[in-house]
Amino acid sequence: MASTLGNSALWLSFLFSILQFIVSTKNINSIIIFNRIAVTGLLTSTLASFFLLMYCHVTSDFAVINVFQNSHTTKPLLYKISGVWGNHEGSMLLWMLVLSITNYFIFKLYSKNNSIFVSKTLQIQAVITIGFLLFILITSNPFERMSTIPSNGLGFNPILQDPALAIHPPLLYIGYVGLSAVFSLSIATMNLENDEGTPWYIYMKPFVVAAWTFLTAGIALGSIWAYYELGWGGWWFWDPVENAALMPWLLSTALLHSLITVERKKSLQAWVLLLAILAFLLSVIGTFLVRSGILTSVHTFALDPTRGIYILIFIGLLGSYSLILFALKSKNFLGKNYFSFFSREGSILVNNLIMVIVCGSVFFGTTYPLIVEIFTSNRISVGEPYFNATVIPMIIPAILVMGIGPLLSWSKVDSKKTLKQILPSILLTIIIIIIFFLSYRTYNIPGLVGIGLASWIISNVLVTLFLNIRKESKKNNFAISSFLKHFNSMIIAHLGVGLLIIGITGSSVWQEEKISRMKVNDEKMISNYNVVFKEINEVAGPNYLALRGSFWIYNQNNKIITVLTPENRIYPITKNTTSEVSIHTNLLRDLYIVLGDGDNDNGWVVRIYHNPLVVWIWIGVLIIVIGGLSALKNNLNILRLRNL
Amino acid sequence: MRKFIFISPIIVFFCIIFIFLYLLITKSDPSELPSALINQKAPKFETLSLLSEKNFLYEKEFNHDLKIVNFFSSWCIPCSAEHKYIDLLSKEKGIKIIGINYKDDPKKALQWLDNLGNPYSDVAIDSNGDIAINWGVYGIPETFIVNYNNIIQYRLAGPITKKNYEAFYQQIIKNK
Repeated sequence: MASTLGNSALWLSFLFSILQFIVSTKNINSIIIFNRIAVTGLLTSTLASFFLLMYCHVTSDFAVINVFQNSHTTKPLLYKISGVWGNHEGSMLLWMLVLSITNYFIFKLYSKNNSIFVSKTLQIQAVITIGFLLFILITSNPFERMSTIPSNGLGFNPILQDPALAIHPPLLYIGYVGLSAVFSLSIATMNLENDEGTPWYIYMKPFVVAAWTFLTAGIALGSIWAYYELGWGGWWFWDPVENAALMPWLLSTALLHSLITVERKKSLQAWVLLLAILAFLLSVIGTFLVRSGILTSVHTFALDPTRGIYILIFIGLLGSYSLILFALKSKNFLGKNYFSFFSREGSILVNNLIMVIVCGSVFFGTTYPLIVEIFTSNRISVGEPYFNATVIPMIIPAILVMGIGPLLSWSKVDSKKTLKQILPSILLTIIIIIIFFLSYRTYNIPGLVGIGLASWIISNVLVTLFLNIRKESKKNNFAISSFLKHFNSMIIAHLGVGLLIIGITGSSVWQEEKISRMKVNDEKMISNYNVVFKEINEVAGPNYLALRGSFWIYNQNNKIITVLTPENRIYPITKNTTSEVSIHTNLLRDLYIVLGDGDNDNGWVVRIYHNPLVVWIWIGVLIIVIGGLSALKNNLNILRLRNL
Repeated sequence: MRKFIFISPIIVFFCIIFIFLYLLITKSDPSELPSALINQKAPKFETLSLLSEKNFLYEKEFNHDLKIVNFFSSWCIPCSAEHKYIDLLSKEKGIKIIGINYKDDPKKALQWLDNLGNPYSDVAIDSNGDIAINWGVYGIPETFIVNYNNIIQYRLAGPITKKNYEAFYQQIIKNK
């Protein structure tokens, strides 16, 4: 019953999206009522079908194939709900839901001055919506039923039963779909050749900021999941699925910064319009790579060649239309405002180019195995060595420029003044490197470079903050203008990046790993800790059985710090086994223990990691996201003031 | 020169799309997973027979005929859908088919065969999935073509369907 309703709601969404496409072609103000009907109708019916699918999952309606394949009566309620988007069909429906919410927000931009522009944007958005709805209805309908009703479901991959993973896809999808709005705005701008003189960049900015913030949070949660759940000791593996999210992130980072240049100086317009197209195309290409099965990855969803063909055709149409439009119209957006290399916009452009090149090399590394396979039929894997060798050397100059950029002024720079401003940061960075070198006696060059870069960023942030406060106190009567607030979100986000670099450097350069077979009462030294294997017991969880090891951790002074209890879980329903990592975290390091196979006679395979500074990765990302949210708030305020 | 800069994105884009298209077409059937066992001897196993409730006679079943080895289970919905093609190969084409009953309740499996008909010359019980692991099975149903010399010639991951039945039958003819 619910599934039939859900299916009809999905078809209703399809009709509404067609209505939206048709009414948006008419540029008459009175038509807005039909547009309202289309947009709210689309939102309501998509919401209905999404919650009906959720209802099917929660009530374990196994006549629905999607529920049968992905759920089980013994699954905890939270994971029954997150199971809705833990599979291909359901995740596409979630994508659709986010798309129609974004669509609604675009509709909310309507005002007297921009009706043509918003109509055009809604029309492009309707094309994207129709594309995805047809994809769902033709190749991946989550409401498909089967004639026999099984007594129970096939369960759910236990490794996906994790709270971080439950909210990871929705956040990523907000990011991807936010970029669809950016894409539509870019197409509408080029199409209309800006007749109304619409400040399109002001409309684009909140969507870019939102997409970028949510992508950042989504990628970080994916990493958190990998770190806490996979038990491989690391948090980033250059997996194709991770790369598929990283590429749009890199481009939206570039977009975010060049949009500021457009806003301030009206230069780089054509470049921004191109980035807007590419960022969304890459999101869809990422989806294609993951869902079509041409790349194999730990994350790969159900393989189905028709899905791949469909997405490829969709990308082909979307991409050729938008890029041909760009080839034809972009010359209208070429600015005459040339600027010097040594200026705020110059630094932004340099970093933009670096981001695009990094994105290109990640794309190349991700697809290179496929290309090699065409010509040689060999299967190769391009892993960490390639990405570390290409991405890191390119990112280093970007970080150096990132530190200095916010201190440069627009257009023209007084180089003496700038030098005076960055002098404290240069000194501070050198001092920190020396202190670090002396106190740890480390000759590890990548480590020292990483620490140097982090202190470079952080000290420059502090200098910027100091200069801002001084400027503000000089003209006290101005109080805090909205622009200054906006400036502060940059400071917050850059501070987060500095902390992130500390975490990345610490955990990748100084990670220690000890893999050994241990029997009960065996001891192992790692870093300055003594790990004692005390006991191993059987325990039962809600839907699994587990072997739980007890490891007592002593410090140098033989004082006990903590007891870590990694588990080896067996889920009887799916016959899956997972290992539950046990971690002790403080601000300086994580102790990370994974219990592997074994028995009491021969001992158990135990992997112990000493991961320095990992927690700063999560703190850094959190601060970046806070910066992003604060920028989002400011941009929405600017938009509200404009539309009043 | 300037013109070229604006056209370059679309050119690069087309190149990428064509590469993807080529890959999709050449790799059009992802269920044709290459198996490490192709051209290798079929892995041996000792277990009970579902039909006779005695030992499964490996030497007798893996004789000098071409045979098909089909992993199935009564709880597997695609297996039920696939069953009519297995039946067709056995009863109309006269090909020897050995069933391997994967992680199943023997009572339910026998009931399943009673309902749908038995195309198998014999069925080996794989109650804990060991045979499947040795054969490198990803998930069921999965079907192997094994030649007269007990060398594995072909592997199909996933069910035999209306769409791939003809191609699968051609593979059998090729290896006969």
